[in-house]
Amino acid sequence: MKGLRIVVSYIRLHWLFYLVGISMVAGGSLLAAQIPRLLGSFTDSLRDGRLGSSEMAGYAGLIVLIGLVRVSTGWGGRVLVHHKGRQLTYQLRQQLFEKWGTLSPSYYHRHSVGDMISHALSDVEVVRELVSQGINQAVSGLAMLLAAIYIMAMHVDWRLTLAGMGPLLCIPLLVKWLGPQIRLQSQRSQEALGAMVQTTEEVIEGIRAVKAFGTEHVVISRFEKRVDTIVEEKMRFVRLSALFGALVPLMVNIGFIFVLGYGGFLVTQKTISLGDFVAFTLYVALLRMPLEQLGNVLNIVQRSIASLNRIDELLRVVPEVLDRKGPLLDRPLQGALCVKSLSFRYPESDRDILSDISFSVKPGQTLGIIGEMGSGKSTLANLLLRLYDPPDGSVFVDGVDILNYPLSRLREGIAYVPQDGFLFSCTVLENIGFSDEYPDSDRAERCARITAVHDNIVAFPEKYATEVGERGVRLSGGQKQRIAIARMIYKDAAFQIMDDSLSAVDTTTERQILLNLRELSRPGSESKGPLKATIIISHRLSAVQHADEIIVLEEGRIVERGNHATLISRCGIYASQWFMQAGQSEEGEPESTEVDGERDISQPDLDAEMEVLEAGRLEEAL
Amino acid sequence: MNEESSKKGSLATLIPYLKSHRSRLALVCFLVVAVVLIDLVQPWLVKEVIDRYVTVSKPDSGAILGMAAAYLGLVLLAFALTWYQDIVLQRIGLSIVRSLRIDLFRHIQRLALRYFDQNSAGRIMTNVVSDTEALNNFFTLFLSNTLRGVFSLLLIMAFMLHLDVSIALYCFLLIPPVVILAICFQRKILTVNTEVRHRLGVVIGFLAENLSGMTIVQIFHQEAKQQKRLEERNKALLAATILENKWFLLFFNITELFGDLAVAALVWFGGKGVIGGTISFGVLYAFVGYIRRFFQPINTISQQMNTQQSSIVASGRISRTLQEVPDIKEVDGAKAPEVEGRIELDGVSLAYRPGHPVLHDIHLLIQPGERVGFVGATGAGKSSIMNLVTRFYDVTSGAVIIDGKDVRHWPLEALRRSVGIVQQDVTLFSGTILDNIRFFQSHISEERVREACQLVGAEPFILRQPLGYDTILSERGSTLSAGERQLLSFARVLIFDPRILILDEATASLDSRTEEVLQKAIHRVSVDRTLLVIAHRLSTVQQMDTICVLEQGRIVESGSHDELLRLEGHYWLLHQAGLLLDEVA
Repeated sequence: MKGLRIVVSYIRLHWLFYLVGISMVAGGSLLAAQIPRLLGSFTDSLRDGRLGSSEMAGYAGLIVLIGLVRVSTGWGGRVLVHHKGRQLTYQLRQQLFEKWGTLSPSYYHRHSVGDMISHALSDVEVVRELVSQGINQAVSGLAMLLAAIYIMAMHVDWRLTLAGMGPLLCIPLLVKWLGPQIRLQSQRSQEALGAMVQTTEEVIEGIRAVKAFGTEHVVISRFEKRVDTIVEEKMRFVRLSALFGALVPLMVNIGFIFVLGYGGFLVTQKTISLGDFVAFTLYVALLRMPLEQLGNVLNIVQRSIASLNRIDELLRVVPEVLDRKGPLLDRPLQGALCVKSLSFRYPESDRDILSDISFSVKPGQTLGIIGEMGSGKSTLANLLLRLYDPPDGSVFVDGVDILNYPLSRLREGIAYVPQDGFLFSCTVLENIGFSDEYPDSDRAERCARITAVHDNIVAFPEKYATEVGERGVRLSGGQKQRIAIARMIYKDAAFQIMDDSLSAVDTTTERQILLNLRELSRPGSESKGPLKATIIISHRLSAVQHADEIIVLEEGRIVERGNHATLISRCGIYASQWFMQAGQSEEGEPESTEVDGERDISQPDLDAEMEVLEAGRLEEAL
Repeated sequence: MNEESSKKGSLATLIPYLKSHRSRLALVCFLVVAVVLIDLVQPWLVKEVIDRYVTVSKPDSGAILGMAAAYLGLVLLAFALTWYQDIVLQRIGLSIVRSLRIDLFRHIQRLALRYFDQNSAGRIMTNVVSDTEALNNFFTLFLSNTLRGVFSLLLIMAFMLHLDVSIALYCFLLIPPVVILAICFQRKILTVNTEVRHRLGVVIGFLAENLSGMTIVQIFHQEAKQQKRLEERNKALLAATILENKWFLLFFNITELFGDLAVAALVWFGGKGVIGGTISFGVLYAFVGYIRRFFQPINTISQQMNTQQSSIVASGRISRTLQEVPDIKEVDGAKAPEVEGRIELDGVSLAYRPGHPVLHDIHLLIQPGERVGFVGATGAGKSSIMNLVTRFYDVTSGAVIIDGKDVRHWPLEALRRSVGIVQQDVTLFSGTILDNIRFFQSHISEERVREACQLVGAEPFILRQPLGYDTILSERGSTLSAGERQLLSFARVLIFDPRILILDEATASLDSRTEEVLQKAIHRVSVDRTLLVIAHRLSTVQQMDTICVLEQGRIVESGSHDELLRLEGHYWLLHQAGLLLDEVA
């Protein structure tokens, strides 16, 4: 019930709106309840023969008047209440997104994006149903019901009222009784549909495998099974909902029969007038819809409490990474990083992902981190970015514990390229200049040149204004990564972290980009601005070979370190991988390398590459 | 005109299915009429009570009670009929949608790979799932409500005419304005609703993207900017929903007002008629009763127009898919030859799009048991050759001959069981490991699966899973590492014991250590088979009997590793560069 607070405080905040809206809706319904009564007394006057044409005009005019007033007040009230309800959905969505913006990756690991979206859509919509439709229907239904019962019981005959209204009052009970069962069964058929969706998805995405094994008939029979389950579950749902659909009119009709039989009898006995009888039959017809709605309101309340609780819980999640309490060091980052015997394990895990890691990077230097999948290299990046908090006293930026910086300062000073080159569905320019509210196109172009993607971009029909599509689907993997790197450079931060960001870029372009980057951060280079510290994480050794220091991670430990030449000469893991990746593991001395300078190999930087390779081999030989 | 054709399409798709349920549909119509009739007789009953038993000189209470009792019988009957009718109609709808889904899925399975390459998975999914579901709504919502609504309207009109022709005709004057109103409203709602859906889609898209990329937003410290961008979209959605709501309420309230005005008019004119003695009071009462019921069916029907629109669009899309012609077809009476594993490419060319050939006049002869490697940049045509050997695509010219028979004259299933392929992306389905390896064919024994797993070296890690072979793979095996998934796919290929085995960059996404394990598996698996390997790293193909170097759809060099190195040609260059080009972006 905690969640209900959200709604209560919202209504309290807008109490005047709700007061006016609810009174108008109730007023409209109270007026509507007068019409059968009016027709009843019209009947009596007509029968008594004391009805002149002016009285008749009076009756007709009164009905028109009541109609106009009740429709317009009811309408106005409903518009008001609905309006406020929609505003609540808007507000809740904003609040949810704001909350999500503060939560760290560990939250995103535990919750799927689909679930989160269903919070922002379905749960919020259910709440909206409660505060708009729910309130409207409850108010108008109750007002009409009470007015009808009051008028009938007071003015006519309470026994007839009981007989006529009794069966109708069962309708909300029916809704309450069958509603949840119907909803449960509806969920089951949705799940059955979900199973079919999953099967179809798997088959279509794996269609090559299906066809390659000639197993179309197997997947077809799997699909048929899923479809049959849907039919079964839906039929169960249909049986329930059809029962409900038939019971509601049955109740109304039974009420009508009581009124017809008992009421008719009372008229012949002169206990009630013909007008009362007429009014009664009209009330039975009039109340059918409001009573169905009242039952529905009960279900809305039930359903929305669950949704409200989920939303409330979400809004109360405490972010795992927060600014520390106490004084913080609020100054720009310079680009000196020092990690001292860092060990780390994820919460809820019993295994160290990183143990005893130490290294340092100075402005203008490049650090390479190499390791297999699961060796902890991405975790290291997560800690530097403070997506997770490292332990106290293990990571220092410019000589101060990283935990003593405000998050906003820290993230201002770090630029990052993710593995998948994640892009947003906006223009190329907006993606490169993501760190700016209004991206500077000249600067973006400079960055795109550095990452060798400028030529691709200007080949697009709308150049830098080209929309990249959802998550950049309109670009190739390599283009996405190069734009993501341009985005990093654009940010011009003291630290640059690249997490396996060149995996989809071919090796020659990779060399080009790395060379350009080195130019940019090399001491004394003509590039303006302070020196940057660069960290390159990769499983491809070619990406890190020029780094000032390379550390090799294995199961969270540093197993080798040094620059390319020393690592090659050590003949350890690095060296063996280097030769394997170069495709020369089983080769003898390649006699042809000497002529390589003469061959026309178009990439300017390939020669340098080969020199380094040779240097490594020479040292190995010595 | 476009609308016309899509409407025709809708009829064309559903008609054969509806025809097979003809008698049941007739039953439903009959039941609906009966139920509506029992419901609509109420005002007429009151009229009878008033005119016959109350406003006469000798009121007859016995007759009234008798009438009530008789009507109780009818009402109970109506209860049973309503229930039964609803179930019958829904069953018709469900079984039609079931057959449609299965027919559609079967058809899609028959289509060649070209279809899947040209249509995104999302589009096909929409077709199989949402479009058929929209047709389901056509039955559950549109048909049931419209049938009831239309019969109600017709019967109310009949009752009115029966009671008094001239008043009835006056009442019918209401029909044109209400229908015009409903049509206008319909148009308006359609546009407003489309806008709401569109803007909702924008908000969902924005949320989905930003939630998956939240880390980037946080690292670039752009939370405030993204919040503002959500606000723009969210506000647009808010405005659209409020507008939609206003229109709905407007229409609803105007019809309510119409009802009240009609009643007032009846009081005025009918009252005069009663005084003048032209009609009885009971008749006037009955008219009031009917006119109040007149608007409900119109409301219901016009609310169903959205459903009808979307089902027309949906069935148009379904019929277009059903009209797709599979371009790979089996020849009648095709018979498989004795399979040894000899492959011959005889002047093969292939163009995925007319005028853009990707393979040019390829000649290649591969002997049974030979191991052949294919290297070359992305787009050089390596995978296209494999597409031809497996007959995922048909050649544009030339012929692919396996064991002396053109693949186009092989039965498809036999061909694909003789040619096994292991790809870079491993497809696993939700189900147990065992079922995934034997591809859900329960006639393949567990022993055979085990043997295969032992041979490729997959058994140790399978036994480490909580339930061993019976472990259910969740989310397409995302809990397994890339190497483990690849081992499973090797085992799967072995089950089918193909004479020809294709490895299409099977080890590309693995790190060096896992690759070593897999290389051993490849060695064991490739014994006695013709092996075609598309390589990512040169080291993978070095030991092959023959290596073919492809460039822009042609084989530019072929020979063993040593021969090719001696040539100092393309292969030598690639070798010198150290790494193959992964991708030319």
